[in-house]
This record gives sequence, C-alpha cells and structure tokens, in this order.
Amino acid sequence: MAELVLNAVDKIYRTKKKAVHAVKDFNLTVKSGEIVALLGSSGCGKTSTLRMIAGFEDVSNGTITLGGKPIHTLPPSQRGVAMAFEAYSLYPPLTIGDNIAFALKAAKMPAAQQQARVKAMAEMLEIDGILNKYPSSVSGGQQQRASLGRALVRQAGLYLLDEPMGQLEPQLRAVLRGRIKHYLREHTCTTILVTHDQTEANALADRIAVMEGGVLQQFASPAELKARPANLFTGTFIGEPPMNIFDATVESNAETVTFHVDGGTVLSYPASEFSAALLKQLSQNPKVTLGIRPYALHAGKGPITGKVVSCQWLGDQTHVAIEVGGRTVVSVAHERIREKPGSDLSLSVASGDLHIFNRDSQSAVAHGGVLA
Amino acid sequence: MSQLSLKSLSKSFGTFTVFDKLDLDAETGEIVVIFGGSGTGKTILLRLIAGVEEPTAGTISIAGEDAADIAPEHRGVGMAFQNFALFPHMSAAENIASPLRAMHATEDKVAAGVAKAAKLLKIDHVLGHAPRELSNGQKQRTALARALAAEPRILLLDDPLRNVDAKLRFEMRLELPRLLRQSGATVLYVTQDYKEAMALADRIAVLAGGKFVQIATPEDIYLRPATLGVARLFGDPSINTLDTAIATDGASVNVAGKPLSIARDYKGHAGKAVTFGVRPEAVSLAASGITAEVMAVTPLNERVVLLLTAEGGWELLASLPSTAKVPEPGSTVHLAFAAEGSHLFDKATGERLHG
Repeated sequence: MAELVLNAVDKIYRTKKKAVHAVKDFNLTVKSGEIVALLGSSGCGKTSTLRMIAGFEDVSNGTITLGGKPIHTLPPSQRGVAMAFEAYSLYPPLTIGDNIAFALKAAKMPAAQQQARVKAMAEMLEIDGILNKYPSSVSGGQQQRASLGRALVRQAGLYLLDEPMGQLEPQLRAVLRGRIKHYLREHTCTTILVTHDQTEANALADRIAVMEGGVLQQFASPAELKARPANLFTGTFIGEPPMNIFDATVESNAETVTFHVDGGTVLSYPASEFSAALLKQLSQNPKVTLGIRPYALHAGKGPITGKVVSCQWLGDQTHVAIEVGGRTVVSVAHERIREKPGSDLSLSVASGDLHIFNRDSQSAVAHGGVLA
Repeated sequence: MSQLSLKSLSKSFGTFTVFDKLDLDAETGEIVVIFGGSGTGKTILLRLIAGVEEPTAGTISIAGEDAADIAPEHRGVGMAFQNFALFPHMSAAENIASPLRAMHATEDKVAAGVAKAAKLLKIDHVLGHAPRELSNGQKQRTALARALAAEPRILLLDDPLRNVDAKLRFEMRLELPRLLRQSGATVLYVTQDYKEAMALADRIAVLAGGKFVQIATPEDIYLRPATLGVARLFGDPSINTLDTAIATDGASVNVAGKPLSIARDYKGHAGKAVTFGVRPEAVSLAASGITAEVMAVTPLNERVVLLLTAEGGWELLASLPSTAKVPEPGSTVHLAFAAEGSHLFDKATGERLHG
C-alpha cells in the first residue's frame, strides 16, 4: 500500500480553436490506506483527474507519485493501479468468474488460491450465484458488482473506483457500502473513489475532495465538510436537502447581535455567543450570506415564521417547507411532524448552527459563532 | 361515486399478463401514487385510463360513466411523461395550448388557459421559447402546464421527475402537492422512488406481480406493510431480515441465539416459520441485549449507518441519528429493537402477521 501525491497537476485539453483548462493546479495527498472521494458534478474535473492517475491521459503540468515513485510518465499497466470502471468494461467472452480472476491468473496465482479469492469476493458482492454466466446475460447492477470485484480482488498499490455503485439495486446499496468499506480497511487499500453522488462519498470516504470548475474547493472529512464548509459552493453542495441561504445585514452592540434577513426575518442572539474576533469582522463587513442547514431549523417557537407549503414524512425523517418572505425555507426533523399545508409555523435556529459567508468572495467567515 | 374507478381491470399481450383484476377507486382531488419497479405495468395502466390502449377485461369508470363509451379526447384526462414529450417545433406557449386547441377552445380561452397554467408553474418568462431552448426543469414544468391547461378531471403523471436533477426534483416534490391540489384533478402519479411516493401520495397503490399488493396511506404502507415485499420497497436502508420461528409461548422469536420478546402476542402462530424484519432506524444501541460487532460506519445524510454482524452471523444495518454516540469500527455493541419498526412475516407467503 502506498501514499499517492498529486503535485500542482494541470490538465489542459487543446483543440485548434481553444484550450480547455479542465484541472487547475491540483494538489492532493492520499495517505496509505486512506479512502478519498473526488466529488463534484459533471465537468468539475474529477474524471480527468482519475484518468491522469490511471494513465489514460497525460498530465499537462505537475507530477503524480505513488509510494514516492513518479508514475505520471509510466504506461497504465506499470502503475500498479486497479480500476473499476463506470461502464463496467468486463471482457464479454469471459464468464463473470473469469473476469474477476483475470488479474490473478495473469499474476500466475495457484488455481486453488485464485478460486478461494474469487469466491470470497463474489460472496461479499452477492454475485456468487452468477460466476458461470457471461456479462451480457446478467443485469447492469450485477455487471457493476463484477467490475468492482475484478478491481478489488487484485493486489495493487492504489484502487481507482469510477462511479462504482451508481447502478446498484437500491435495496443492496447500504449493505454493500458497509461491506466494501470494511474490506478496503481490512486490506489497507489506498483508494480513490470518483463520484457525483455525495451519499456514496459520505458513506465510504475518510476524506472528500470537493471539485468545481477544475479547482479543488475543499479537502476534508465528511463531518468537517458539513460543519465547516470553506465556501458557499461547498456549503450548498454538501448536505441533503441543501442548506438554506439568506442574504442578511448584521447589527451588533455589547449585548446583542442581530441579523436582518432579506424578506423581513430578524434573528437576534446574545453577543456572548459570538467570538470577539468575529464581532469585529462583522462590524467591518455587515453584509453577509447566512447558511442554515435544514436539520438546524427546528419547528416550534422561533423568529422565522411563514405558511406551511408542504409537510412530508418519509419514514425516518420529516421534510417541512414553509414560505417566508416569498421564498421557500426547508426544515428537516428526525421525528415525525404533522403540519397542515397552509397553516402558520415558526422555526428557530441556534447561533451555533449559523454559517456566515462573505457575500462578495463567498468564502466562509464563521461557523457557529467563531471565525472560520 | 368515485371520480375514477377501476374494476377487475386486466391487461395481457397474447399469453403475457401485465396485470390481473386491479381494483381502485380514486376520489376527486385525491393523489394516488402507483408505485412499483420497472416492468410492473405502471405506464400501461395509465395508457388504459387515457384511452390509448384497451383493457383485456374489466372496466374503467370516470365520474360514474364507463370509459369504454368515451373517446379518449373526451375523457377529460391530462397526461405528462418522464421524457417530457413536448412538440419540438412549437413554443412552450403553443405546447401548453395544444390540448385546448384540440378541444376547439376560443382564442380567449386558450390565452387564459395558457396564462393560468404558466403562472402556476412559474414559467411565464419562457413561454416564447422552443423546447430545445429550455432547461430540463423548464421542459418538465411546460409538460405539466400542458397537462393542466385544459383543466382535466383526471391527471396522469408518468414519473414526471425522473429526468430532472436531484435539486430540482426535491424542489418540485415540495411544490407539487399544493399545485396538484389547486388543479382539483384526481391524480394518478407513477414513480419508482419511494420517497417521492410517500411525500406526494394521499394513498399509495403498490403494484407487483400483476396485482395491487397494498393500497394504503403512506403511514400504513411504512408502518404496517402488508407483505415483506412491500416492507423492502420502502425505506433506505432497506429493512433487515432474519429467518427464524415463533417460540411456543407465542411471545418471542429466536434472534441470534437469544429469545427476543416481541411486543405483540402471536399465540395463534406459535411454532410458525417466520421472517423477522426490523427497520434500520428501529435498531438502537443498548446496555445489554443481542451482541454485535461493528463492521463499518457509513454516514448517510444526518444519520449514521452501522454495518453489524450479530451473534450467529446475522448481518444487519442500524441507522442512528448523527447526534447519537457512534461506536468505532471493530467495537462490540448490544442491540435493541423498537416495536414500531419490527415485524414478523409468514415465511411461506411473505404476509405480515398480525399479533
């Protein structure tokens, strides 16, 4: 197992007419045995990054090292990387079992050992019943699991998983996430997971690299991303349902800090709940963007008042939408809440749950009353 | 009298039966979600009601009148599809106007109908655009406006949020119930997404194996599923299951080598082979009880999902609020099961047993 380091990596696609800067000055260190997700929507540069690590694309600038050894100039086959592809890419003339065993065979592993490894992997992924079938005769979800098995069964310095679970049957997803995470840890696999699905990234990754416009926005643990987003992009991108966003103007005196939210809502807190450094910062820059996560908005008494648009119970959570000053604000609770559409509802939020962003630069100013 | 009534409705193609003897009554203004996996016949059911396909047997009544006697264009049905199906050569406004024009409405009525539907769906500003100039969200809103424009008695929505992005799907999910209620139509809404079904439905009709397995409120479907199959379709993560048997006292089952007392009395079923089902959010950590090892910790939104291996090798998931104290992978914990999310299903038939 080995540490992966991307140092000042650029990817520029050049055509006759123009150059597209797909990945910009990308720096990332993945520790040995760590699971890192590259997360972003399509066009953010995550797949280009993955392809550069795998060797399917050249780096335009910068270096990539694995275990201290530069790999960005090596052909893909010499990089010691195992990969599961989004499009499965199974070998059609081989059975599912032979697909999974492919690299083991190539490495001349004794047949009995091969079989044992393939069987254990297939059981983990619940495809042990289809090992004798051919890829074309099994479902997309099963092909995806086979592709994942073929990558994980190998001994490799690095595992690259490209959208590895997008096609999985919904009833299997949560269990397989758990089993795969357990497997990666047991075998100390250094892993890069590329996904657009934050649920998958949060479930599997130790740290998540959030990408947008070819630029790394933030690299942190799932908990840290949620609690301390570096900017408005990460704040609104991470978290389901997304963070509620308000423009507000801050007014403070020795006793009280007041947020005058556009649309008329006024949020007031004791000044003691905010650090002195933050208060100073807010007095210099009183125009801010406030972010409040749906789980931080509690129904009951509170300064945010409006009419209920909808109240939807999903079994393990309730989503309540209320209309406040002409816009929709979303609150989520773990428990069951019953509110009639059209009725009045008040919401409260603790100062500790406020995220404050600079309205111009959109970078984080403060989380929970202290400077970011 | 129901606005829409299906009686013993069957559809086959040759020897292949899509569904058999479906019964459903939907009231004026009611939102009924038709829920099922792909290939269960949801879309075909809508096509029968719209009149573009004929049933093999059984009847469809609209406001008490047998639909077989009503031509499709006079059924008062509006429809929207997952692929939007807008006329590409017409502007958004002309698309929305098309059902009114088909009814030979006057220009004034067309203009008023388009304006009303566009306002409701907040697409006034793109009415002059051609479909190719619209975002997917705007296309779907245009398709919904077209379905609503002629003020149909019955609105058939075939997975309309399938092809819009997650953010928009969420926003539309919050907005749709109010919008649909304003239309006053009886709504049949097809989806494969259980959250969408629970969020939108007054009642959910679960279609599987050519039958409505259960027709009930979201609350009943989730808390009192008729079968193990229904229980599995609703909930993320899906319900945990373990094959076991009811003890002779009728008040406990064997779970991971220990008798687990069950809240209800199943005396009538003593000794029966059952599947014990417990929803992941009904599993909690306790000071004593069944022992399990934590295999992996996977955060899921504001919850944390634990993959556990209990005594006897039973693999199960627990979904805890992220505010709870979360154990480390590799640690040993004890489990408790809340009565509300615990069920016993007949192993032979899959039906939920009533204690």
